[in-house]
Amino acid sequence: MKKMSISAPEAVKTGALYASLAGLAFVFFFPFYYMFIIASHPRETMFRTPPNLWFGGALWDNVHRLIFVQEQVPFLVNYANSVMIAVLTVVTTLFFCTMGGFALAKYDFRGKKFIFVFILSTMAFPPFLNIIPFYRMMVAFGWINRWRALIVPGMANAMGIFLMRQYMEESIPNALLDAARIDGLNEFGILTRVAFPLAKPGMGVLAIITFVGSWNNFLGAFILLPRLQSTTLTVALNTLNAVSFGEFGMVYAGTAIAILPLLVIFFLASRQFISGLTSGSVKG
Amino acid sequence: MKSVVTAHKENRMKRGFTFGIGMVLALVLIISSCGSPRGAAEPTLEFDPDQTYNLTMGTFGDLEAAYSVVLRSDHFRSRFPNINVTFQSADFGGHHDRLTTQIAAGERTNDIEALEVAFIALFVEQGDALLDLNQPPFNAPSHIADLVDFAVAQGQTRAGEQVAIPVDIAPAVLFFRENLAREAGANFRDLGSWEEFIRESRKVTGNGRFAVPNASDVALIPLAGGKGGWLDAAGNALEPRGKFMESLNLVAAVRDAGIDADLNAWSGPWIESFANGTVVSIPNGAWWGGALRTWVAPDVTDWRVTYLPGRAMSSLGGTYLSIPASVPAENRAAAWEVIKYLTTTAEAQLLTFDTIDAFPALTTTYDDPVMSEPIPYFGNEPVRQIFADVALNMPSQIVSEYDRTIESIWGSIIGQVIEGDLTPEQAYDLALRQVRSQID
Amino acid sequence: MTAITRMWDKIGFNQKLAPYVFVSPFFILFLIFGLYPIGYSFFMSLFDMRLVGNRGFVGLANYTRLFTVDEFFGTAVINTVILLFTGSLLQHVFAIPMAIIVNSPRVIGRHTFKALFFAPFITSTVATVIIFGMVFDHNFGLLNWIIENVLGMEGIRWTARSGPIKATISILLNWRFIGFNMVIYLAGLQGIPRELYEAAAIDGAGTVQQHRMITLPLLIPIIFFGVSLSLIGGFQLFDEPFVLLGGYDTVGGPGQGGLTIAYYLMILGFKNGRLGRGAAIAWVLFFIILIVTTVNRLITNRLQKK
Repeated sequence: MKKMSISAPEAVKTGALYASLAGLAFVFFFPFYYMFIIASHPRETMFRTPPNLWFGGALWDNVHRLIFVQEQVPFLVNYANSVMIAVLTVVTTLFFCTMGGFALAKYDFRGKKFIFVFILSTMAFPPFLNIIPFYRMMVAFGWINRWRALIVPGMANAMGIFLMRQYMEESIPNALLDAARIDGLNEFGILTRVAFPLAKPGMGVLAIITFVGSWNNFLGAFILLPRLQSTTLTVALNTLNAVSFGEFGMVYAGTAIAILPLLVIFFLASRQFISGLTSGSVKG
Repeated sequence: MKSVVTAHKENRMKRGFTFGIGMVLALVLIISSCGSPRGAAEPTLEFDPDQTYNLTMGTFGDLEAAYSVVLRSDHFRSRFPNINVTFQSADFGGHHDRLTTQIAAGERTNDIEALEVAFIALFVEQGDALLDLNQPPFNAPSHIADLVDFAVAQGQTRAGEQVAIPVDIAPAVLFFRENLAREAGANFRDLGSWEEFIRESRKVTGNGRFAVPNASDVALIPLAGGKGGWLDAAGNALEPRGKFMESLNLVAAVRDAGIDADLNAWSGPWIESFANGTVVSIPNGAWWGGALRTWVAPDVTDWRVTYLPGRAMSSLGGTYLSIPASVPAENRAAAWEVIKYLTTTAEAQLLTFDTIDAFPALTTTYDDPVMSEPIPYFGNEPVRQIFADVALNMPSQIVSEYDRTIESIWGSIIGQVIEGDLTPEQAYDLALRQVRSQID
Repeated sequence: MTAITRMWDKIGFNQKLAPYVFVSPFFILFLIFGLYPIGYSFFMSLFDMRLVGNRGFVGLANYTRLFTVDEFFGTAVINTVILLFTGSLLQHVFAIPMAIIVNSPRVIGRHTFKALFFAPFITSTVATVIIFGMVFDHNFGLLNWIIENVLGMEGIRWTARSGPIKATISILLNWRFIGFNMVIYLAGLQGIPRELYEAAAIDGAGTVQQHRMITLPLLIPIIFFGVSLSLIGGFQLFDEPFVLLGGYDTVGGPGQGGLTIAYYLMILGFKNGRLGRGAAIAWVLFFIILIVTTVNRLITNRLQKK
């Protein structure tokens, strides 16, 4: 009897927890789901009131027209471009930002505080009008229509360095670094063989943020990569939306299949890098 | 005890600070000395029919859908086999943001750029970002005499430079549903005034039916669509007062009469309202007819077209073509040939009209048989004659660099009048104060 | 070759030099790509700089007019500060507990929940706007349906009036970024050694107590990061109000209800073509953010020392 009286409120609590998690999940996920609902309807039934809540039958037709029929934008080429640009951005950003963050988190050196505050300050500068001088610079460098215009300037960005510093400050024990030095590792070795593996959760988050940012960057890609063959998916979809003259189904199908990989990547990456206390990541 | 180290540090930081300021100042000097060299002074080369020209053209919305067809047509290819055009297209916002950035940076744009009217003054009154096509070798006046007057005038700066050529226009008319109106004993055809419009609208309103989707739909009509005309001839903003008060009063009257459905523009219910009988009318540009016919309400049979109440002559948008000053001299003449072709040949104008319902700016096409054809969707009435008549009788508006500033202020003000937060008088005074704080 | 190897070794084994080498990419890139735009914007702010052409030096006039003749700047600052609290900072109150919950191995399906909560951050703006249009529509929207039929109150004019506009933007911001912040905190949680919880449990601390005594203090560096990001992002808020209120067609909606500092900056620069005035706002905004993040840093330092 005693056992029952303890577990009953316990069960209520668990029930309430899952109910609120499920409720939140519904609210958060519904628009994402709705993207696919729109993509699966023909134009005639797309905007019905009350709104469609279930898939229509036109998803395959919309995708088919997008990939095989329309010739206005090279959808698959743009898809590949987006993947390549995002992957290159993520890899370089992870490397340089973890490196910078590591220095600020785990070394004592003259000017460290000033450098940290300086890096933070550059984040505080509103970037809105920078596009004009930045564009001028890219033209002067001859980087228009080159992917590097989107990749290189942000490789060692303040936000990434800041994130990695904050992450590594508490989670990498100094003793471990000293032990590695005694073992004869040089500082680069310590960075790549000790810091990188231990910073995995932080790097996982940075990778996701960077990937999403690169994937969804419209204006930068549109201005810097004007050639349709070398540009990204986001730009191609905007162009297609403009030139396809009311073929919403096709455009929304493109939007949906453009976003889907982000969720899959997140699901896999978060499982790998930032899931539970199972990996035995840090020994205090 | 304030240690030597701290003092030293402070000293170093101070020095760092001074150094930083120095750097910035030096940079400012470098930048300001550079200026932005523009190509306007370069002499433009004559068009050479034997040379191959590869041009780029920046367009927005569905323009590429039409121009790509036009420029692939046999008629164009036989005339200009040596001109190839590739497009850079985006939605309205993306296109103009890109163009604004490139022009502000003083860098190369596409050889031909499509523009919305409000950008013309912005790019030109503040500097010489677009070529004056009145100059040789373009000599625009001798080519564009047949383009509709008000639109040609809007492509000019206050100093009379022709920097943009109208390619399509949007004469405003009243779209209405004849059967629904008749059932309610109302008539929307050729109304004499907005008071009459409100009177007829009351008859159709009720049981979930309204006259217009939103009171804001009528807001810009008395102001000729808000495309220019925000300053009077003497340069005073929001003058003459009567014209602007009319707009505010009309919006307030429509909302007070309860004849608008209070729908958010372009929301799902708004789009549906044209097909499911929620609304009976809407004032809009000619292109709206194409949207109704092809996807908004393809199954409705009683949409009709008539003049705006009181035969108001108004225009809701339109497209212009221009050659930015950063275009290299060797491409300019060919770009001009393409612009001339798109704007001044009946073939191009009618094909564009046919493809995307963009109404021709070339008045000679108004005599073409297609303009008096009965349109099946609009009850077999020759509605294009109404569009043409409005186009020919549109008064010219003064265009200025402040138009965009005032236009967005007006957009906010209208919202407050509709919600009843401001009376029309209060709204006008507030708008005037806000405008004055922005322009100088 | 050997010279390079030797140099490599020299740097590699030099604990004094290594950190400078590690942070050098940032400064190299900043010198090449960052300094010019910032310097250029300072230059613009001192001139009557138009979209095309420069009408000459005006000193600090672009700055002073913000606090004198300008009819919009004050409203923009007030709106931004309100939205900063209700939109950007409020999220952390939800994000931290959510991160703790989905991080617990005892929660079944936590990986799925995590992905579902993160979805708003990657959902396309088009779908977001359509959905929010449906939810917040004052006649047909879900929210007003609930308010009118379930709560029996009068519906709210969500996107039509100045006050409700701010509520709409706040809800949109929370919805969009709670999952994002949750993920940042999730990463932070991975750095906390499990043994600490076990030790606390042995001492008889309950779950809530454990998190108050262990999780929160050890999460401070990440909280500092998350809050700094929200402060910066909140003061630079642009996208959501811009899309929701029809972009450049209005000045931040009816009654400037959704006019933020950055929104106004973009109107001045891109819509009105007054780059000089826009740049002046950028610098004022820069100093506001600098002050606020410094205060945030000092508070964090004190908390961390405790």
